[in-house]
Parts: sequence; structure tokens; C-alpha cells
Amino acid sequence: MKKLKTKIGMAAIVMIAVLGFAFMPAPKKITVKGSDTMVILAQKWAEVYMKSHPQAIVQVTGGGSGTGISALINGATDICNSSRPMKQSEMDKLKDRYASMGVEIRCAKDGITIFLNESNPVKELTVKQLSNIFSGKTRNWKEVGGPDQDIKLYGRENSSGTYVFFKDNVVKTDYAASCQTLPGTAAVVNAVSKDKYGIGYGGAAYAAGVKHCAVKKDDKSPSFVANAETVKSGQYPITRYLYMYLCNRPTGELKAYIDWILSPEGQKLVTDIGYFPVK
Amino acid sequence: MKKITNIFLTFALILPMLILSTGIKAQKQTDDLRKEQDTLKENVSTLRDKISGVEERIATAEGDLAKLTKIKLSGYIQAQYLHYEASNAYPDNVFMLRRVRIKFQYEPINGVVFVLQPDFVPGNITLKDAYVQLNDRWLKTFSLYAGKFNRPNYEVEYSSSSREVPERSRVIRAIYPDERATGAKLEIAPPKIPLKIQLAVFNGNDGLTIPDASGVNINPLNNDFDKHKDFMGRVTYTFKLGQIGALGIGAHGYYGKIKANTLDVLNSDYTLNRTNDNVGKLIKKNWVGFEAQLYFDFLGGLALKGEYIFGVNGTPGYSSKTTVVGPQVVSGGKNDTITLTTTTAITNNNRPAIERNFSGYYVYLIKNIGKHHQVAFRYDYYDPNTKLASDLIGVNSYNGNVAVKTTDKYTYAGTNPVVATNAQTKTEVKNSLTSGTSDIKYQTITLGYTYFFDDNIKIMLGYEIPMNKKIGVNSKGVGNVTTAYAVNGVPGVWDYSNSIKQNTLTVRLQVKF
Repeated sequence: MKKLKTKIGMAAIVMIAVLGFAFMPAPKKITVKGSDTMVILAQKWAEVYMKSHPQAIVQVTGGGSGTGISALINGATDICNSSRPMKQSEMDKLKDRYASMGVEIRCAKDGITIFLNESNPVKELTVKQLSNIFSGKTRNWKEVGGPDQDIKLYGRENSSGTYVFFKDNVVKTDYAASCQTLPGTAAVVNAVSKDKYGIGYGGAAYAAGVKHCAVKKDDKSPSFVANAETVKSGQYPITRYLYMYLCNRPTGELKAYIDWILSPEGQKLVTDIGYFPVK
Repeated sequence: MKKITNIFLTFALILPMLILSTGIKAQKQTDDLRKEQDTLKENVSTLRDKISGVEERIATAEGDLAKLTKIKLSGYIQAQYLHYEASNAYPDNVFMLRRVRIKFQYEPINGVVFVLQPDFVPGNITLKDAYVQLNDRWLKTFSLYAGKFNRPNYEVEYSSSSREVPERSRVIRAIYPDERATGAKLEIAPPKIPLKIQLAVFNGNDGLTIPDASGVNINPLNNDFDKHKDFMGRVTYTFKLGQIGALGIGAHGYYGKIKANTLDVLNSDYTLNRTNDNVGKLIKKNWVGFEAQLYFDFLGGLALKGEYIFGVNGTPGYSSKTTVVGPQVVSGGKNDTITLTTTTAITNNNRPAIERNFSGYYVYLIKNIGKHHQVAFRYDYYDPNTKLASDLIGVNSYNGNVAVKTTDKYTYAGTNPVVATNAQTKTEVKNSLTSGTSDIKYQTITLGYTYFFDDNIKIMLGYEIPMNKKIGVNSKGVGNVTTAYAVNGVPGVWDYSNSIKQNTLTVRLQVKF
């Protein structure tokens, strides 16, 4: 019993030493990784924040929401940007790794925009029609009031939060095999702008040089184009929050950065970039 | 005038030549241009063909790649060094591979998943998981599993690649040996509600060691050997505590039966419960458990997790019969008294089945420190027989032995010769069970420290301190439970009236991908 007490005592000393070591002040570099949809916004936040806080270093990379969440779980990033909510399985992994449920912060709102080539006569589509188009059931523009031409699909890679959100909330089944996957919403916009019969989806902030397709919840509903008013009011049917995830409650420089993002100054940049503020 | 005429004539001669020469040149240039145009057309056509070929190849490659993205590979290796502090350990320190697993996951179409997970531990390659998972594509709430997979229990489903200490707690190891079972499971997990319901049906004998009279396990392949199926259910719900953390609560139950393999069934205190059952009769395996996990964000993750389980766990017995027929020798004269010197010895070697009441629990305290460090403390308790006080272990027993019973059987004809058949039968019934090591309760303290080196590698240091409950021995030595052993030819004994040192130090390196 005496030996046992000694061993427990020694273990306690080691634990205290580890605790002391771990609570040493950390460097002020903040790493941000994740959603490609959010990367321009995140870079803008970082750029403006670093100007006003010269002591802070914020490093932003994309890769997709799934990649960002994996990086958060693996300890490779401080903040994960995600354009979809974390899945239960990912939450469980975070819980197992950090004994924590993580922290979810809604930092902006977005309307997933449907991009059409400017020459395309189609002006509006229902959510159901979009599901049929992107799942491959509808293959010709004629079936939705357009020319007698094959529909060319452009979408995102499966590591993208936009891909997952659009699949879960619009397509609701597998994407058609003919859907060409592209790295980033900018690439989708570019492809659709060059393809007369193309259709794509992505974050509202990227929709330049293409036509925005109005979307109807169903046949009987009015159609809406994604803009500040319709997204904020929820009239536009494909809206979502953009999230930041952290392993634990933020402290120090990290907390200051998050607080700043949620402040009017940070939220103003959300509007400047083309998304919609949460407050 | 003549001069003018000459100039005119010269010009008239030169001009057509010039025109002709220019025409020839232009013709040549046109021909060259045509040739170039043709070459260009050819080149463009070749290039177009090449591009078409490349496009076709890309399309094929993309198709193949799309198929490959439906296959997911993951796995982990746990290499460890163990130092045993038990007196019967030989060798007392070993390097070993605890896990060498690769998990293959294939999702050919949305909602259908095939999972295969072999364990390649040298000398013991086994199939751990092999199941089909069908997910409902509409409500995204229901999943149906069929095959071999983890039993629905918190610590069982918590992968050893994530666990904070080297091994699962003693009660879980006892009631869910090998963690997996073969059967079917329905999982209900509504996407927007933190509720999970699991309902499962299993063969019920997976991982159990059921010895026959000679000590050989009759259940090595885990093939079902009774018609009864075991049922399990588990419900969990998670309450979010704002941004501070979360509290998960749950309960699970096991309702099962297993073939007794013998005529007699004992109560937990070793008294006879019933006898002369049909051999095919079943004994109970029924228990319930309650679990809770509290996650609290206090300078990083802090978790307090625990589970309490109690119920009845039946252990099958065995029943065997050996018959030895001796030579038949008949002596004596005509119409005389006969003398029988032969025997047929019959031994009924039985061990009664027993339904033990048990209880057990575990509590974890886990603290994450920064991104790289984690410390854990676990206390676990397992009482395999709650109906038997420690001072009755080794004392309480059931003795159904019947002494040797001799039956003379002979026939003779009135005249010679005398014919004797099965001349004499000796029957012996061995049928007893004494309480002992399998009734001793244990408390175990486990300390763990994990360093997360990077995304894939972690190093764990674990120290497990099992403490047996000392059993009582009376002045006559009754109740003494011992286990004899020999280390390197030197005999020794574990006497459970003392605390027996069985601590284990583990240093583990884990690589996960």
C-alpha cells in the first residue's frame, strides 16, 4: 500500500509538471483552415485585423469544410471555417480527442446561388427541379423551359461544405456522375460563364459574370434571387449559416479575434464581401 | 519615234513575261498556302483526335477515380511494451503488437455501406468487423446493420484507438468479451435531435469461453449452439450546456439466455436452484446499465464519464459420460457358483451451470491540456458475485457427487457354460462446484497519460493497479482460495487471502491513418 501511495504521488507530480508546461503562454499566431466558400471572407478578416492588431498573426488556408474539420480534430488548426454544421460523427471525434464538445460560432449567413450562363433563357427553377437536374433525372434544358440542349453540371468537390449542404438540402440523393467537380466556387462561376448550357452552385459572394437563377421553394411559391433582403428574411429557399468551429472556448488572442469578427467592424466586412451578417 | 516604238516593243515583250512570272509566283504562293492550309488542317484534325483521346481517357480515369472515392481506408497499429509486476509473470516484460487493423469501407451507392475490418496481429489474424449498413436516404434517421459489429455499449463502442487508458474496464471485459457479436441492429438517430436508440439481436455466444469436461473450449468459432437469441437495447440523449459543455445520459439492457449444458443449475450463492432440467434448458444472461458523460470546458476539455451495470450472468456447465469396459473373466465349474472379476466403469463428469448476480461500474476523469497532452484517471469495480460475501468465497459450494455404486448383473444358464454379460457395473457421478477465483471482486485504478505527437501518432503511458478483495479463511483453513503456478520451473502460489500484486505498466505507440 505504501508503494502504491508512492506511485500515485509520483504520478501526481508528473501530472502537475505537465499541467505547468501546458499552460505556458502560447505564441500569438492563429491558424484558420476550412471552407473554400469562406476563404475570401476569412482572408479579408485576417488582413484587416492584422492591420489594426500588428502583434497578431492570422494564417488562412482553404481546402474545404471537411478538410478544415479534420484539421481541427487533428490539432492542425485553431479555427475551422465550415459552410455546413458539423456532423454528429465529427462531433464525436472531437469529443474523443479533446474531451470537449467544441465551440460553434455562426459568423455569417449565405444564400447558395444557382449560376446560369448569361445567354440561358431560363430564369427560375424550383428546388425540386434543381434536385432533378443535379441528380441527373432532368438532362435537357427543354424539360425546364429552356432550349433543346443537354444540361452541363458544375459542382464542388466532396470535401466542400457547399457540396454537402447542397446535397443534403437540395439534391437529397447522389449527384449525377456527369457533374464536373471543381475546386472552389470561383472555378464553378468561371466554367458556367463559358458554357452556354452550364449550371452550377456556390456561395453568393462569387457570383460575378454569370446570371443568378431565381429559386422557388415549390411550384406554388414565388421565386427569389439571393440577396441581402431575401437571405436575411429566409425567403430565398437555399440559405445557410457559415460557421467557425473551435476545440475549446477561446481565450487570449484567439478570443480577441473571434470577438472582433462578431463586432460591427467584422460583420461589416461580411457585407462587403457579398455575404450577409448574422446580426 | 523609232525609239518610242522600241521601248513600246520591249515593254510589250517584258510585260507579259512579268505578268507570267508574277502569275507563276502567285500560283506557287497559293499552292504553298494551300499546302500549309492542308497541313494545318491535318494537324488540327490530329490534335482534335488527340484531344478527344485525352478527353476520353480523362473521362475513364474520372470514372475510375469516382469509384475509388467510394472506398475509404483507415486503420491503426498499436505497438507496446508491457511490464508485468505479477509474481507469476514469465516473462515479466514483453514487446507486443496489440492491434494491427485496417478498416475497409465501401459505399457503392448512397446509403449502402460495406465494412470489413481484419486484425493482423501476428499469430492471431481475426475478422473483427464485417457488416453491411443500410442508411435510410429519406429521413436520414434509420440505419440497419447486419453482420458482426460492436455490441451497443458506451465503452465497447469507444474505440481503443481513442481510449485514454490502455484497456477497457474489468466489468465490460467480463460481460462483453471480444466486444463484437454477430447479428442485426437497428439504429435510430434523428439528425436534428441528439437522441440515439439502438436495438440489436445477437447469437449471444460471441467471445465466450465455454469449457467441456476436459477444459477444451467448445465455442472457439462462436457458432451459435442454442436456438435462443439475445437482445440488446440502448438509448442515449445529449443535453447541450451552452458553450460550457454537454451532458450525455443513457441506459442499456441485455436480455439473453444460453444453453446450460448440464442438468443442475445453481444460484449465485452456490445453492441448488433447479435440477433434472432438460439438458437443452437455458440459463439467464440479463442485465441493465446506466451511463453518463459530462464534458466541461475548463481551461480545455475536461470529461467525467461513468457507467453502472448490474444483473445476472449465467455460466454454462458441462455434462459428459465415460464408459470403460473391462475384460470378462468367468471362473467356476459346472453348475457351480460363479465369480465375476470384470467391471464396466461409468463416470458421469458434470459441472453444474450457475447464474451469478453481478455488478460493476467505472468512472473516468479525463483532462486535456493544450493540444498535445491528456491525463486520465479511471477507477473501476467489478463484483462477479454479489450474493457471496468475501468470507464465503472458497467455503460455499455445491456437492452433487454420488459415491461409486456397484450393480451386479449376470445371467447364467442352469447348465454349463455360465454366460455373464456386463458382469458388474460401477457408476460414479462427479458433480460439484466450489466458489473460488471467479467470485472474487476487484477494484482497479488506472492512470494514463497520452502525448499526441501529430495528427496520426500518439504515445501512451499507462499504469494499471488491480486490487483483489481479500477473502476470509477460517482457522481450519477452510475458504482458502489459491492458484498454483510455476515460473521457470519454480513453483509458487497466489493466496487470495492476501492482496496480490498484478500491476501492469504499458508504454504504447499508436499510429493511426
